[in-house]
Amino acid sequence: MNVYILNGFRSPVGKAPRGMFRSLRPDDLAAQVVRGLMEKYPSIPKEEIEDCIVGNATPEAEQGLNVGRMISMMGLDTVRVPGMTVNRYCSSGLETIAIAAAKIQAGMADCILAGGVETMSPIPFGGWRVVPNYEVSTSHPDWYWGMGNTAEAVAQKYQVSRQDQDQFAFESHKKALAAQASGRFDKDILPINIQEVYLDEQERRQEKNYMLNRDEGPRADTSLEALAKLRPVFAANGSVTAGNASQTSDGAAFVLVVSEEFLKRHGLEPDARFMSYHVSGLEPRYMGMGPMHAVPKALEKAGLSQGDLSLIELNEAFASQSLAVIRELELNPELVNVNGGAIALGHPLGCTGCKLTVQILNELEKRNQKYGMVTMCVGTGQGAAGIFEKL
Amino acid sequence: MKLEIKKVAILGAGVMGAQLACLMANAGLNVLLLDRVVSEEDPDMLAREALKKCGKMKPAPSISKDLIQTIGIGNFEDDLSKLKEVDWVIEAIVENPKIKLALYEKVLPYLSKTVIFSTNTSGISINSLAELFPSSLRNRFCGTHFFNPPRYLKLLEIIPGKETDESLIKFLMEFGESRLGKRTVLCKDTPAFIANRIGVGAIMHVFQLWDKGNFTISEMDVLTGPIIGRPKTATFKTCDLVGLDTLAMVSDYLKETCPADSFKAYYEVPPFVRKMVSEGRIGDKARKGFYQKVKDEKGKLVRKYYDPKTDSLLDWKKEKMTALADAYQIKNLKKRLGFLVDLGGDLGEFYREMLYGTFAFVADKIPEIADDIYKVDDALKTGFGWEIGPFEMWDAIGLEKVVKGMNTMNMPVANWIVEMLKSGNTAFYKREGIESQQFSALSNSYIPVPRHQLFFNLKDHKPSIIWKNDDCSIYDLGDGVLNCAFHSKMNTLGGEVLEGINAGIDLAEGKYKALLVANQGQNFSVGANLAMVFMLALEQEWDELDYAVSVFQKTTMRLRYSSIPTVIVPHGMCFGGGAEVILHGDRVHASSESYIGLVEVGVGLIPGGGGTKEFSKVASDNYYNGDIQLPQLKEKYLQIAMAKVATSAQEGMDMGYLKKGRDSFALQSDFLIPQAKDIALGMASSYIPPVEGKNILALGKQALGMFMIGADSMEFTNYISTHDRLIAEKLGYVICGGDLSRPTLVSEQYLLDLEKETFLSLLGEEKTLQRIEHMLNTGKPLRN
Repeated sequence: MNVYILNGFRSPVGKAPRGMFRSLRPDDLAAQVVRGLMEKYPSIPKEEIEDCIVGNATPEAEQGLNVGRMISMMGLDTVRVPGMTVNRYCSSGLETIAIAAAKIQAGMADCILAGGVETMSPIPFGGWRVVPNYEVSTSHPDWYWGMGNTAEAVAQKYQVSRQDQDQFAFESHKKALAAQASGRFDKDILPINIQEVYLDEQERRQEKNYMLNRDEGPRADTSLEALAKLRPVFAANGSVTAGNASQTSDGAAFVLVVSEEFLKRHGLEPDARFMSYHVSGLEPRYMGMGPMHAVPKALEKAGLSQGDLSLIELNEAFASQSLAVIRELELNPELVNVNGGAIALGHPLGCTGCKLTVQILNELEKRNQKYGMVTMCVGTGQGAAGIFEKL
Repeated sequence: MKLEIKKVAILGAGVMGAQLACLMANAGLNVLLLDRVVSEEDPDMLAREALKKCGKMKPAPSISKDLIQTIGIGNFEDDLSKLKEVDWVIEAIVENPKIKLALYEKVLPYLSKTVIFSTNTSGISINSLAELFPSSLRNRFCGTHFFNPPRYLKLLEIIPGKETDESLIKFLMEFGESRLGKRTVLCKDTPAFIANRIGVGAIMHVFQLWDKGNFTISEMDVLTGPIIGRPKTATFKTCDLVGLDTLAMVSDYLKETCPADSFKAYYEVPPFVRKMVSEGRIGDKARKGFYQKVKDEKGKLVRKYYDPKTDSLLDWKKEKMTALADAYQIKNLKKRLGFLVDLGGDLGEFYREMLYGTFAFVADKIPEIADDIYKVDDALKTGFGWEIGPFEMWDAIGLEKVVKGMNTMNMPVANWIVEMLKSGNTAFYKREGIESQQFSALSNSYIPVPRHQLFFNLKDHKPSIIWKNDDCSIYDLGDGVLNCAFHSKMNTLGGEVLEGINAGIDLAEGKYKALLVANQGQNFSVGANLAMVFMLALEQEWDELDYAVSVFQKTTMRLRYSSIPTVIVPHGMCFGGGAEVILHGDRVHASSESYIGLVEVGVGLIPGGGGTKEFSKVASDNYYNGDIQLPQLKEKYLQIAMAKVATSAQEGMDMGYLKKGRDSFALQSDFLIPQAKDIALGMASSYIPPVEGKNILALGKQALGMFMIGADSMEFTNYISTHDRLIAEKLGYVICGGDLSRPTLVSEQYLLDLEKETFLSLLGEEKTLQRIEHMLNTGKPLRN
């Protein structure tokens, strides 16, 4: 049974922790995107949405208490649509689309709101209280490694030089800036309004309203020389820097996942067909190589070969792993991240999967192309890939 | 009217002005820093940028970065009206009388009638500057000359003008001492006042001696360094620090303003210095002076020194002059000085010319620059870092012997010295009971060295020692308060010191009220006696080591659980065991210049005298209902794991060595003991000793995993070695209270036992022994 995507929106991506969204809660941010999405499809009665599935990689504090359910109520303005939160780290936003598709294929639903949100501004990486299992911490400490370590491990094992990583990062910024300049993201982005209460220099309470409609990450002032000057942040004599790693970010993205029946019932034209999704596991210390295992399986399930793909969104967690994956899978670099990636545009963890989906569907449309793949490495040794057919 | 300073304004945000602002903030004052407008868009730019720089300077001018942001900033155009509220205005702008006077004219209308207005000039006549002031304010004006860096150099020269109100000067002298922690020296309005007149003259004299002698620059710094009680930077390195241009300027100024000075040759800038200045070789600010760091063929920075005679850079290495080998054996500086001037050949000749020359020079300046000789000694000690002043050195060598030498060398001997000897007085200083006396040139007799009422020097109180061994003495300070003072080498803590602390507690518990642990050595304590630990470990004397650690732990625990209050009075370096003593006192009253740290990992160990236990406790004491706990424990763990040292008592408080709301510190280190005595007596009247119990929440496995991952991760990323990892894991185990399945309330003793076991196990590690050996041999940590 075919499952279809009604393309939605993503918020612009804010820089964390000091960007424009620094004072915006994840539920408020996500609710705005959901409202925008529903305005795009005025013919869909909200009560016919059967679930709201939200990806989030750090579901605690502002993102805790099943933030998916809060978003279903706040964004849809009804208590009738249930909500849940899904955590598969960096593929969470794609995972939610896949779960929605599976529920529809299983006959459990006809229309599901799926996406993801992450605000890294208020919540530290990994969460507030990190409590690894002591026994595992002595037998397999690398299962708990920070992502930077895994990026260094990949750079070492696959011999990705600092120079290549910096070049890759530089290209990411260049492509992202070009895309911004030509309005390539205009269709993806739902402008976000922010209301901020703050104190002025005299400590008087002030309010201000402002709006963000473009990604904060891309830097026009970056250069290969500037990138080369940055010091490694994760390892002494390492090669991974703040410049060739993805940025920490705030963002939200949502789409609607629907059955053929639902499309007919409401006279809607779908944007894409969901073809396949696969997640694989590997040694956590080489986390970054996850796509190497997931991509072939996803292609197989979709009945496609690599050559059939027109566009690939490979999440740029780190330049080291992106390059190693491109080389090992022999991906065509011309097809990968045509509008730049997370190094320039940011990586709001749980949102990223859906954000890249929104982006790739719009880009396929602009190019009048057919098959697109979204893939990413996922923390603690996993990789995910999802394939869509643009209709 | 009672004088009071709450608000201070500094005019001029140069290197000195901005650091002065920090000093005032360190002293808890409300500070305003103003400078010119150089940018219309950002009129406060100069002050803001200067403070930003202060935040990055090393050594830091501020005792806490938080304090810098309390300093208000502004400019001479928009903010002068704020001066109305200010109690003390310090002008610290460029050394140009015209510019200074122009600024005074500008700010005068805004000053309150009760303001204290001072200039930080290092030489310009105070009376000439005072002339601009209306007579109603002239009595509020004086000179206050701080030395750079003002947080660290203790000297404050205070120079009254002819009309300055006497009570104002008296107040500033007191305020400078008790609040700012300075040694205030009342100066006359003579060129460059006391310290720079003598200090710069002495430097030019050494320049001249070098010029005509055969020693290299590098050798000269050995000859004029710590061996004669001068700082490590000796002469030429000090010049690089100060700047040759500045020195030449002061010297030229002295030459111009003291034409009748019989020692005016001392203000003559030698041609080689002129040449260096004209070529921009002016010292550290130009990155080249007498010393320069250059890259060798491997790209490594190496230090070279400049030889003006050949105009070339020569290889520098840490010199040990064999000719001085015997002198190094003499640990007592005063005896060593006597030995040095008696040497034959070039060396002896050099020392006699240099030292006797300086003595003749300072004697000639009495009473021109000061009536009291102690002021000259104080100024050189606290402004130039001399261990003892010129008159004290003279005493050490022998007044008569030096005068004889001067006569043979045809040096002029000041008349008052001749008179002094005639009347049978053969020393500049003597002691009457606990009172220090100085010889007065004016009255040809001995008069007291005036000191602040709180000034306390342990050396003056030797008669009140009631117990002592080789490394420790117990003083009866009166009123029922005892003081335990360490005096081992570098104040390391070994068996004798521990015996002393226990004796102090025993005595105090017997028939006294309280015990202080205070000394006035260079540092409070650099830690446990490593040499002893090393020998025992090498010989695998585990029982003895076990016993030694137990004694240490019991001693620190007694500081807390004895029936009398204990007040610890730290200053300077307080490392390892020294920090552990601080952590266990009932109260701490510290010098603000206390550098406290549990630095044991540097020698491959963890704190074993209760330090690890204490940091587990400090974290636990801070847990509150609903707290997520781990970040607090992690912070304490990292302080030990990274051997972090607090760079001030304030930082020590932020890091948990001192307790907020309980402990205190002061900028003036000379008053600490009487102040601590007051604190102890205040506590004694209502003292309730703490009771031991199971009151530390050990987090066990809940936190242990985090530390294991951290250690593994740091090793993988090459930040730490395999041995570091082992230590980090063991430290984690102790600070968590072991691998307890759930957080558990434990006693101090439980953690102490874990701590001891781990400490001993690390002593069985070869790499730890290598670290200790390296530290003992070189004084530096080994990374292995």
